[in-house]
Amino acid sequence: MVDNDAELAELAGTVLVVEDEVLIRLVIAQYLRDCGYRVIEAAHADEALLVLRKSEIEIDVVFTDVEMPGSMDGFALSQWVRSNRPGTDVILAGSVGRAVQAASDLCDQQNNVPKPYDPQNVHDRIRRLLASRRPAKRDLQSALERASLGGPVQ
Amino acid sequence: MVNFDVACKVDLEQDQATVLVAEDEVLIRLMIADALRSEGLTVIEASSGDEALSVLQSALPIQLLVTDIRMASELDGLALARAARVARPGLKLIVASSQQAGDEATNLADAFFTKPYALSALVERVKSFLKEAQHGGQ
Repeated sequence: MVDNDAELAELAGTVLVVEDEVLIRLVIAQYLRDCGYRVIEAAHADEALLVLRKSEIEIDVVFTDVEMPGSMDGFALSQWVRSNRPGTDVILAGSVGRAVQAASDLCDQQNNVPKPYDPQNVHDRIRRLLASRRPAKRDLQSALERASLGGPVQ
Repeated sequence: MVNFDVACKVDLEQDQATVLVAEDEVLIRLMIADALRSEGLTVIEASSGDEALSVLQSALPIQLLVTDIRMASELDGLALARAARVARPGLKLIVASSQQAGDEATNLADAFFTKPYALSALVERVKSFLKEAQHGGQ
């Protein structure tokens, strides 16, 4: 971990991660932070545009999913960035595998911070997180039903 | 119940305090997340109540939830707070709103903040709750 965020951003750059699946976004964002980047997270293109329209927020790379809900998909966002933020690189990642590979490639560009862990671990972690949510959803649903009936919540 | 002991090699710093911030205004969420990260905390960002619930239903270790009440998603902050109390009984919960706290928000939350956020006060409250949670064995 680096303590000084500003120093870090100057050293490594800032990545705007645009991804509508929170469990994928948080793992990719954390991986890039562990590589030394400052990361800003957006859940869809409309959020990304709110950030990108702030000229005082420096963004070096926009790292975006392709398919997203909202007024723009990743391709349209990419075109917007090329027209309005010409110095900003865009990485389009259309699947979890490609997103992990692209994040790993970004980590490789860092000279000062070694890659914190193997990209395969990042992929495995996303898979585990997505899998861990499914049974939990059923548990929560039944717990909420019991709670609404006045029964025990445990 | 959810098995929170799922072993994760590549973890969001298992031994480090993790805060979930649910806020649908991206620039405000960024401001809060940056302030908490600069204190060395691990922050997970959710852009809606639905996203926050997904995180709470996963195996991720979370010690504290900060949520706005008014969010443009299926779950608003109050519904999220209710669900969080069921899914994670030991979770510390901070609720924020631009309006006065209603009875339900007061009952559900460990602390209530009026928006716009007094950022330094929020950060201090988060840190003190996390300290309590650590001492309580969370």
